[in-house]
Amino acid sequence: MADKPIQGEKRVFMTGNEVVAWAALAAEADIMYGYPITPQNEVMHYWTRLAPKYGKRFLQTEDEISAGFTTCGGVLAGKRAFTATAGPGNTLMQESMSMAEMMRIPTVLVVQQRGGPSTATVIYSQQEVTMTCYGGNGEGLRIVYSTGSHQELYDYTIKAFNTAWKYRFPTFVLGDGYQAKMRESLYLYDPALKGIKMETTTPYLGLEGMPGVDRDPSHLRNTYNTEEELYEVVSDLVAAYEKIAPEVVEYQTFNTDDAEVIIIAHGVVTRAAQAAVKTLRSQGLKVGHFRPVTLRPFAAQQLRDIVKKAKKLVVVESAQGQLMKLVKDAIYGETVPIEGYLKPGQGITGEEIVEYIKKGM
Amino acid sequence: MEKIADRIVEAYIGEYASGKSEVSLNRALSLLESGRSPVTLVDFDLVEPFYTLRPIKKELEKKGLQVIAWETKKTMGLGEAGTLLKPEMRWALRRAGDVIFDVGYGIGGAVKLRLVEDGLDGGEMKIFVVTNIARPITGSVEDIVEYVGTLGPVDGLINNSHLGDDTDVEIIQEGARVVAEAAKRMGLPVIRTTVDIRLSDKIGRTDTMGNPVSYLKRHMNRSFW
Repeated sequence: MADKPIQGEKRVFMTGNEVVAWAALAAEADIMYGYPITPQNEVMHYWTRLAPKYGKRFLQTEDEISAGFTTCGGVLAGKRAFTATAGPGNTLMQESMSMAEMMRIPTVLVVQQRGGPSTATVIYSQQEVTMTCYGGNGEGLRIVYSTGSHQELYDYTIKAFNTAWKYRFPTFVLGDGYQAKMRESLYLYDPALKGIKMETTTPYLGLEGMPGVDRDPSHLRNTYNTEEELYEVVSDLVAAYEKIAPEVVEYQTFNTDDAEVIIIAHGVVTRAAQAAVKTLRSQGLKVGHFRPVTLRPFAAQQLRDIVKKAKKLVVVESAQGQLMKLVKDAIYGETVPIEGYLKPGQGITGEEIVEYIKKGM
Repeated sequence: MEKIADRIVEAYIGEYASGKSEVSLNRALSLLESGRSPVTLVDFDLVEPFYTLRPIKKELEKKGLQVIAWETKKTMGLGEAGTLLKPEMRWALRRAGDVIFDVGYGIGGAVKLRLVEDGLDGGEMKIFVVTNIARPITGSVEDIVEYVGTLGPVDGLINNSHLGDDTDVEIIQEGARVVAEAAKRMGLPVIRTTVDIRLSDKIGRTDTMGNPVSYLKRHMNRSFW
């Protein structure tokens, strides 16, 4: 068995899916559970090529329902476990992710969004925002990072394991098929080099000592007998989530201080939005960009403060308003007009954002 | 079957995202530019055609290349992304002139060369492995030797080491050294080093190991799906 997979820091060239596999290695993940679906297959392909060299495990399950539940199982056994999926696979994983919410199981799920609804297209969209943030039959007690570059896919996949295990909520890295397949350079690094210490993982089951004598029984439940009991359980979950939300929330702003028009975009579309702001500012137009990095929890108060001085918000996304819903929910009560540049399942360029904004100014 | 004397038949195989398409299409274009005709480029990706020659087929044909490739919208019903052998691909070697195959990645792609009539057993085809050491899975001499060992018959290695837009001379030359050592261990020649033409003033006509350098005009960055 080789020593650490990544030593020091190294500049490399790869596709987004490969980045996820290498990041999981760097994060000392123990096992990946997986089921194939385009466009995330290479996460599994690279993990299984690398796993034998580093003593890592992999299990291909019979479907995504099982992949999600086996990931929960791996975590309950105390392993740093993760899985990856897309589109209809993500839909199937909602049952297991709801359980993870109810039982506060620190799963890590990487989603590479493809077209929707249903089978749709195999490559790209931003149409799994609603599902990844609020899917299943729960209250959306999840942490969702939306990445926009390979470097971020690396950084946030590593971070996802720490966020999950520290705060004990199912954590998601939300990419898309473009990020999954496109090629660019990034720096792989040993997290220890950057002062990142991986959170310890502990099993939920098979603990030492006699239950009731040496320790409390580890009584794991996702089901309750009475409505009153459930109300208390969910209230406690929500309180715990709201307590940690301020520590977890992340966002970025670009030229928003004096902006009249603010572009709101996430994931890979932030590249186009940032490019558009550069162009528009060079033409003397007061345009800025707000980029949520965590879609859940959303930087609601921060966005509210930013839009107070704006004349218009333009939400730009490759979906029919999934990001827009999060924005409206976050800033309810603000009277700033909101427009949507909505292109479900299609890539968005900086040039088209520039054209749209200029038409409206 | 008559063998056309002196014609060039090459298949470019290798690791996922190693640069097979960019290298093979530039090879086909340079053969054309040197006065050879006809030159046929075959999109032989029967593995994972999300990033292939298809979107730039017409552009390449306008330059005078013959291109055998599916148009994605014509592959409806032929699998997720149309990984089906087009009949012209099977019979490509029955055409006159040079034929260059851009092959799907890994052993999965390489074995499909068996589908080409007179391909593996015709005596003309040379199979080259495109290698980029900036991809960690083929980043060291040992990794390359191990990987190439899985690919079946191989006639030479190509050093295509780069970091995309962030390429510098260092990675190209380091690639030349690593690929040369790997090639030596396998008893294979290094055919050439391929370099983005934007760096042509920083690296001459041979690399640090004395391999010939070919310049690439990048086309594949416009070719995604």
